[in-house]
Amino acid sequence: MVLVAVALMAVAAAGCGIPRDPESTLDRVRGGTLRAGITASEPWTTLEGGRPGGVEVALVERFAEELGARVEWVDGSEADLIGALELRELDLVVGGLTADTPWQAKAAITRSYATTRVVVAVPASQPLPEDIAGMRVAVEAGTDAAGILEDKTDAIPVRVPDVTQVRGSAVAVDEWLLADLDLRDTGVHLSKVKHVMATPMGENAFLVRLERFLIAHQDEVPALLDAAEAGR
Amino acid sequence: MSTHHELPPDKHEKLVRAVRLEWFSIVYLITAITLLYFTLGNSQAMKAAWVEDILGLTPPIAFLVASRVRRRKPNDHFPYGYHRATAIAYLCASVALLALGAFILYDSASKLLKFEHPPIDLVKPFGDQPIWLGWLMLGALAYSTIPQVILGRLKQPLAKELNDKVLYADAEMNRADWLTGVAAMAGVVGIGFGLWWADSVAASIISVDIVRDGWKNLRVAVDDLMDKEPTVVDDARADPLPLWIKNELMLLAWVKDAEVRLREGGHVFMGEAFVVPVDNDDLVGRLERANRHLLDLDWRLHELVISPVSEINRPEPAGEDG
Repeated sequence: MVLVAVALMAVAAAGCGIPRDPESTLDRVRGGTLRAGITASEPWTTLEGGRPGGVEVALVERFAEELGARVEWVDGSEADLIGALELRELDLVVGGLTADTPWQAKAAITRSYATTRVVVAVPASQPLPEDIAGMRVAVEAGTDAAGILEDKTDAIPVRVPDVTQVRGSAVAVDEWLLADLDLRDTGVHLSKVKHVMATPMGENAFLVRLERFLIAHQDEVPALLDAAEAGR
Repeated sequence: MSTHHELPPDKHEKLVRAVRLEWFSIVYLITAITLLYFTLGNSQAMKAAWVEDILGLTPPIAFLVASRVRRRKPNDHFPYGYHRATAIAYLCASVALLALGAFILYDSASKLLKFEHPPIDLVKPFGDQPIWLGWLMLGALAYSTIPQVILGRLKQPLAKELNDKVLYADAEMNRADWLTGVAAMAGVVGIGFGLWWADSVAASIISVDIVRDGWKNLRVAVDDLMDKEPTVVDDARADPLPLWIKNELMLLAWVKDAEVRLREGGHVFMGEAFVVPVDNDDLVGRLERANRHLLDLDWRLHELVISPVSEINRPEPAGEDG
């Protein structure tokens, strides 16, 4: 009964625009300018030649289009951008942010719109190993996957500068690259990352509008990832 | 020395009802706590309401433990029985209530002073349809408030009948829960309308209420442990029973002077009477007859030791604050 009452209230209130923004961010952005902060984190955000690109840039551009807004990009470090967001000098920050971001107290983090995993894979032509213990596995140097492979598994990590350039050996790689690289998942998953964006604290109408957009478009993320990869 | 059974038969049936109500309260509170936990979001008011519900578990648990413990007979290690165990548990719980209430008050006030805007976003609890978490918060708050107010109304008359202060405090806390519910709902609705401060203000109101509950319970527990004179169940005034006993004693032909002091042990009273007899004829027989007569006076009088003395030193009257 309570559920029915809540559902009725939600329907009734959706019409009169609840939740609202304390500082009217959504109203200001609509038909105006979306001030977006970006920090490079391939393939989610790129800044090649100073030009914003990548999966999240594509999503934000499309979101702005839905609101009839123009995006004004500002690049900087995550700390700078979040600082500006906290003071509402920016409306949105992207840059490969994840759900476990330490910025939770300074920014309103969206629901995750994509989940990616780093998995241990072998070339599709090879049989799946029973166990990765003692196996030499290529892993990108300077990533948490390398550390997890070292500490949490019995495989022998071999650090390489670019895992997409490994052919014919076991490799720790992002799940969405498996088909492109003709690899097969061994079932060993090293890490799981939920991708999010950051909005100003308490601007709930704007936050909810962005989340509705992300929920509606999250199915397009794999295609955007492929496009980002192809553009490299 | 002789003692009564703890409860007369008509009260026993009330106790069974109270025990059933308290068990129901615990089960219900656990469901409400779970529901609130899943809808907490970033709302400070929700957090305060949640903590209050968790702390609301202590009086029912204390009551149920007490209703078991008091059936235990005194033994050579604990010659006064186990009544105090509940008072100690109750003291701990009320200190926790006070401390947590103070912490939430500090937390909410500082959020208010820092102009913190609480973000509340979408959730997808029912399949594919996203819904603003604020709506679920309101539903959860309604569920955690309305039954509590009803439970409080059912418990209060039982607490009076059973002369049980823990049950009474519990009933009062339940009855006052509408304040928490309404404040928290106002906070969430306020966020919905873009009033960022509504949440912290609501949380501050709730935490003041928690502190007040803690203070009230702390006083009940401390008074009990300090052997304060018996008071009526809502603590409004001193219980007249010691006076009644003293009058009964004074009415006995062989008593020249008498004084009575009682203390509370859970829902029953115990204590001593001092009498100055006119002579020592059949003193033991007279004392035993007086004791039986007095224990029949009121079911709440659990144990009375009557001492014959040659003169009585009366305690000083307490000051205005006593």
